Amino acid sequence: MKTEISRRRFLQGSAAFTVVAVSGAATALIEKKKHDEVASFGLRKTQWSDKLEEVPTLCEMCVNKCAAIARVEDGVITKLNPNPLFPKSRNMLCARGNAGIQALEDPDRLKYPLIRVGKRGEGKFKRVTWDEAYEYIKDKMVKILDEEKDNRSTIGFCAGEGMAEHTYVSFMKDKIGSSNFVNHSTICLTTTIAGYSLTLGGYGQADLENAEYVIMAGANRAEAIVTPDTMDMFKRTKGRGAKLVVIDPRFTNTASHADKWLPIEVGTDLAFVLALTHVAISEELYNKRFTQENMSDFEDYKKHILDKGYTPEWAEKITGIKAKEIREVARDFMAHAPRSIYYQGRRTAWSFQDFQVRRAQAIFTAMGGGIDQKGGIIFGKKLPLGKHEISSPTYFNAQGRIEKNKAAVIGTSGSWIAWRNTIIDGTAPYPVRAFFAYKQNPMLSVPNTTKTRQMLETMDLVVVIDTMPSDTVMMADVVLPESHYLEREDPVKTFGGSEPSIALRKKVVDAKYDTKPVIEIMRGLGEKLSKPLFEISKKYDEELQELIEDEGGEEAVYKQEGYDLADGFRHSQETINHHMVASVYGEETWKTLREKGIFYPDMDKYFKQKSVNNYQYYPEHKKSYSVIKGDLEVEPYHDTCVDTKEMSVLKKEFRTATSKIACALYNLEKKKGVDAMPTWRDELYTPTPQGRFRFITGRHGQFTQSGTANNALLLDLMGDNYLWLNKRVAQERGIKFGDKVEVKSSIGAIQIKAYPTEKIGPNVVFFIHGFGAESSELTLAHHRGANDNMIIEDHYEKSFGSAAMHETIVDIRRV
Amino acid sequence: MARYGMALDYKSCINCKACESACKEENGILIGADKHRIWVGVPEMEGIFPDLSIGSSSYEPSQCQQCDNAPCQEVCPTNATYYDDNGVVRVNPEQCILCTYCMQACPYDARYIDDRTMTVDKCNFCSDTRLINGETTTACQATCPTKVRIFGDLDDPNSEISQVLRDREHYSLKTHLGTKPKLYYLT
Repeated sequence: MKTEISRRRFLQGSAAFTVVAVSGAATALIEKKKHDEVASFGLRKTQWSDKLEEVPTLCEMCVNKCAAIARVEDGVITKLNPNPLFPKSRNMLCARGNAGIQALEDPDRLKYPLIRVGKRGEGKFKRVTWDEAYEYIKDKMVKILDEEKDNRSTIGFCAGEGMAEHTYVSFMKDKIGSSNFVNHSTICLTTTIAGYSLTLGGYGQADLENAEYVIMAGANRAEAIVTPDTMDMFKRTKGRGAKLVVIDPRFTNTASHADKWLPIEVGTDLAFVLALTHVAISEELYNKRFTQENMSDFEDYKKHILDKGYTPEWAEKITGIKAKEIREVARDFMAHAPRSIYYQGRRTAWSFQDFQVRRAQAIFTAMGGGIDQKGGIIFGKKLPLGKHEISSPTYFNAQGRIEKNKAAVIGTSGSWIAWRNTIIDGTAPYPVRAFFAYKQNPMLSVPNTTKTRQMLETMDLVVVIDTMPSDTVMMADVVLPESHYLEREDPVKTFGGSEPSIALRKKVVDAKYDTKPVIEIMRGLGEKLSKPLFEISKKYDEELQELIEDEGGEEAVYKQEGYDLADGFRHSQETINHHMVASVYGEETWKTLREKGIFYPDMDKYFKQKSVNNYQYYPEHKKSYSVIKGDLEVEPYHDTCVDTKEMSVLKKEFRTATSKIACALYNLEKKKGVDAMPTWRDELYTPTPQGRFRFITGRHGQFTQSGTANNALLLDLMGDNYLWLNKRVAQERGIKFGDKVEVKSSIGAIQIKAYPTEKIGPNVVFFIHGFGAESSELTLAHHRGANDNMIIEDHYEKSFGSAAMHETIVDIRRV
Repeated sequence: MARYGMALDYKSCINCKACESACKEENGILIGADKHRIWVGVPEMEGIFPDLSIGSSSYEPSQCQQCDNAPCQEVCPTNATYYDDNGVVRVNPEQCILCTYCMQACPYDARYIDDRTMTVDKCNFCSDTRLINGETTTACQATCPTKVRIFGDLDDPNSEISQVLRDREHYSLKTHLGTKPKLYYLT
């Protein structure tokens, strides 16, 4: 027996959370919450009544979309279980997946449409009908668009990731016609998607089921769960088939599975990767045949790395990682190649050099040959779906994005920080006067909460579609409540990879409240807005005036050109899904998909339970590991957060390589001034000053950003966020576990409880993202822990406008 | 009739607590600190930054050890704690008088008071929610992302758990107390 078993859970002693505390603290949005509602925090046990039904669905507690089967008794969900049929989620449901019931039953949910009655941000609303809400939005939009002379881009909008995100975005972008869209990409994974896609042709999927050597830098797959990566990785660590090297300033749960953990100076990853590359080149460890056949401009890259002198000794001074360790990692990596992966990572919004870090990682992986090969980064196949097309009018007066010149490449999903700052610093070429948000909570998710508040305050109209009264909802004029994911059917989705499949999120129970799925909200808004907004276009849009004259009248143009804003949204989601599946695979498949939640060809033949815990989805020889011939034109694997359309535009413009891997992007340098090859830039890195701290943030396995912060079951697992700081530093400053400390940056200060630990270095502090809600309507989340974006400065890197969240220096003191 | 046991491939544990929440949802456990049947033991990390001992950091998922010779059953004055036909140590809420002797006797700290049923409750291998219905999985086993648990019949020589215990080295907790646990940690 090596370890002491303890029921006392880590970090929870002082944050015990009880149901009793809840009922006392509950305040009501409009009417007083009833006690029996609060009592529903208690969990219900399965009774196995005759009415028990099992309904397949997909989880939405985070972005992974794991397959679940809901046990429903008398219209009540008593348990969510994993659906073993889905290759992506491999028969698992994490803590959050299990807590989906608590999200559904949360008494704080948004229950009906609301219109603000108090001052903005004050949190005073009145209940209205859907029609009243749409009417309010229409009146404001007509006034704004009339004053802005039909410049549709005066309506800004944002979205978080979700299966219905596309429905909302196509309404706002294609129908309303605004170019001012921002989403989660630039506060999450833009740089790694761009880095890997422009280098390899696609972001790809790390084949962790077969890799023998994996470097995970900053990616914390034991806590920030990604399926199937998390499941595939940690069954094979600790001497069981895959060596894992973790590069992270913090000792995470992932590090506890590592063969080697190398704490790195925050913001210096590029120097580390360049030095690995230097070792592989100078010692000629790379795969010569693969580089010759598949990499363009590799000779230029070799020369570049050697000429710049990116030696391990050079990198040691910057990264704090010993030269000896760098050599060892480079040699081991290449010894195991092609089954060696420098893991792509997801949230790569860290520093000013993020894009080049990811480029260098991708090239280094390719030097081992582990691209489009079993055990390397693979692309796989994707099962096609039928089309659902939406006609979109062309608005002559709609202008381009306001922040398009604020970074080298600003994509169609924008740069969140640059976009917001452009609105408030007065540099926008025209005013953005309305703001729509769907499933995103920028008040907590975008660095510098104070500026996000300022931005929202400048708006003439703020509309928020969500399920919970988040801090952003509190800033809204109109709140449109979305149905919970267990209460709605979402667009059917195809999941690419080595074992492709199609999955469906089916409605499990009827909506409890007066809420709607996004497609119905778009339909309602469309029907309300179409005619009045068409009138505005007629008034200002000369192209439209001509068209009406030439094409024989208003009615025809209105219909044919897509000015009927609801026309793509009139069918039910089920009807659209039916068409998308049955038109390609037939009625039988549609039936299977509805019954089982998952479909792929020959599933009935291939799918087998191999042991208590293991399933076969495809026989080994049917898995798609190597698929590329020549350049990768369309990326078959697609991560649920990747906008493939946007990536193909980027590739077309900047990726001129005809082979698999582009070492140099000369077009990107020529057109946009971004280094063609990964180059360390001293001017883009500031070492942490003595006696001060660099702040870093991150995620873990029990919460998803701020979206699950009010979940009773999850709060029971972790009730608070804590400041990690080095134990010896804490001792010097007289800070003990649980002491309140102030963390202060140039933009703000927060207070948080301390967790002194040796798992972090002396010049870094960390706390988990997603806590610290201000909204008093979130009974459990309100003022629980601290909001990192109160202190994270609004830096962004200048290649893609991606947030640089780890460039904030802070001071701490005991309060 | 079976004799159920559980093998834990604990090296795969990532301390994500999926098991704990699945258990709560499955068995209707009251929410609140310590009112639960499953937990993950986290030992104190050894070493000083940056020289931490990775080997000292592991996660040990735990719950009632389902002893064949259960001290909690032995001390129960009302026979509320009993062995069922499958060898699972169960609690009859009707008979429990909350004397808490079992809590004192259990060397694994596996028993807790459920304030709603007024029972000193514990893990029962999902006997009344799954086994009773012919499902031979537990909620914790089914939901686990890295598939730590293998649940099955120890009396069936062909069951996966029996095979695994024959093929792989394993240990049980506090065996010197003679409790004969039916939870096995695979090394």
